Amino acid sequence: MEFPSVPVIQVENLSKVFRVSHKDPGIKGAVKALFRPRFDAKVAVDGITFSVEPGEMVGYIGVNGAGKSTTIKMLTGILVPSGGKVQVLGRDPHRQRVANAREIGVVFGQRSQLWWDLAFIESLNLVAKIYEVDPARYKQLLDQFAETLELKELFRVPIRNMSLGQKMRAELAATLIHEPTVVYLDEPTIGLDLIVKERIREFIKEQNREKGTTVILTTHDLGDIEELCQRVMIIDAGRLIYDGPLSTIKDRFGKYRTISFDTAGPVGAFDPSTGSGLVVPPAAEVEMSEPRKLVLRFDRTQTTASRVAAAIMDQIEVVDFSLAEPDLASIVKQIYSGALRDEMVQEAAA
Amino acid sequence: MIQSLRRTVNVYGAIAAMVPKENLAYNIWVWMQFAVQIMSMIIFVYFWRAVYANATTLGGLSLQQTLNYILLAQIIAPLVENRLIFHFGFLVRSGQVAMELVRPIDFQARYYVESLAGLGVYLVQKLPLFLLAWAFLGLQLPADPAAWGAFAVSLILGQSILFFFDWFFACLAFYSTETWGLSVVRVGVATFFSGALVPLAMMPDWLQLLAAALPFAQALAVPASFLSGITPAAAAPQVWLIQLVWLMGLWVLSRRVFSLAVRKVTVQGG
Repeated sequence: MEFPSVPVIQVENLSKVFRVSHKDPGIKGAVKALFRPRFDAKVAVDGITFSVEPGEMVGYIGVNGAGKSTTIKMLTGILVPSGGKVQVLGRDPHRQRVANAREIGVVFGQRSQLWWDLAFIESLNLVAKIYEVDPARYKQLLDQFAETLELKELFRVPIRNMSLGQKMRAELAATLIHEPTVVYLDEPTIGLDLIVKERIREFIKEQNREKGTTVILTTHDLGDIEELCQRVMIIDAGRLIYDGPLSTIKDRFGKYRTISFDTAGPVGAFDPSTGSGLVVPPAAEVEMSEPRKLVLRFDRTQTTASRVAAAIMDQIEVVDFSLAEPDLASIVKQIYSGALRDEMVQEAAA
Repeated sequence: MIQSLRRTVNVYGAIAAMVPKENLAYNIWVWMQFAVQIMSMIIFVYFWRAVYANATTLGGLSLQQTLNYILLAQIIAPLVENRLIFHFGFLVRSGQVAMELVRPIDFQARYYVESLAGLGVYLVQKLPLFLLAWAFLGLQLPADPAAWGAFAVSLILGQSILFFFDWFFACLAFYSTETWGLSVVRVGVATFFSGALVPLAMMPDWLQLLAAALPFAQALAVPASFLSGITPAAAAPQVWLIQLVWLMGLWVLSRRVFSLAVRKVTVQGG
């Protein structure tokens, strides 16, 4: 029998307002604040609504202070919402904090859930006991994790002696050892090198594929998003400004593409070191020009890759060329600088 | 029912088992505390001998009773310096409280279990001090097992009372984020009113009244009095009853306070 899929996470009109003490600068301000404290209301999350289906991997992005972590903290039951509704697996995460905690896993990239002074394996054993992981299953998972995350040589090391990359691998193992239904990863790859990042992404993907784990990922690393998420939510100043497939956002904002040519050498009037003498096709511009390399950017709403390529190949002997996918980093830069807001305003006006 | 009890014992037993391991990580601290306690015991012995030079009893206590009491009080005094208040301040200030709140265990039960396990570890660690005091400083311990039983039960109850009392102040961290000042004041007040420096019987009446109204004596003076021969073991049931009333009242209130305070959590940074 097929059951209709029930959302894992349901958020309705959720908001969080913090009281921030307001102090004027200087000693005078400090004294004033001591006798007559004043508080400003800071709206961290401002009426967001979304839901997440089982097995989804959702990228949750936004600039610093946009409200990402605050949202995660409300989803995990750490913070009480100021307004609106949150349900995770049918529960109120704050009211039923302990029951909720049993089914979720959380990594806060800048904190540790492991015992600082104890050997990693001791922390892990304790975590398994707290989450009541079946001993046989625990052993099995331990072997599995040891392999994918390369943990074998870390088991005897106390957390305080670990490097950042080692610590994050240890954290991930500890977070997923009870096979949670939902995993919140708050900047899991912050400050890590490419190899460790790659390994961590592989591990997350594997957990999702094999166990149907739902993953909410906040990150500043768009590589994480591109590798892991089909769906993206963008939060800006506490409001959800985009919620949809990664591909849509790429199509909508990836207006420009770059095409690069490896050239055999100078041809005709073209001077490769300056790019002068080249007849640039319409709706395109030279982005970079080197003795044997030429990179052009074109607006794909006005021209096509083949037109640009043909125009260049008429002028220069091309050895090889390649077309780059729209780069998420530059798209997100556009969005953060207000492109999406402008567009929403335009849509509303129309 | 039995199933869920067994699960609870397993989970919290595992937490308790971590305490000795964590304590062993701070070896030097243990030795330092040893040295300080031996010194203060020696000072206290000479001090009280001098005080008794012209008297046979003070506040109804003989020299031997006072010496017994003060040596025991000095051995268990560090237990009164509960670090819960300071620890909560750290949790909130560093934002580490977020990690503690996503564990599937009762927040208070976890710290209570840790504090009881800490008590056990402490007593084992301080066994050499008992022996030193007995061999060189004239500590006389009772032969009657009833006195030891009265001491053990009232120590556990008293430490529990202190734990739940401290819980209120620790929860203030959720509102103010700053608890260092509070914990310093708390240690000063607790050391005096717990009877770690002067036997309560020697205090003026109004101070004795105040000490009885505060929970600190329950954690130190009350158990130490059983073992030093000041309170007879026969009085134990009555003492335990008073302690239980303290304990139940503070426990109920502390649960309520936490459920209010945790709504105020703001997690710093990140």
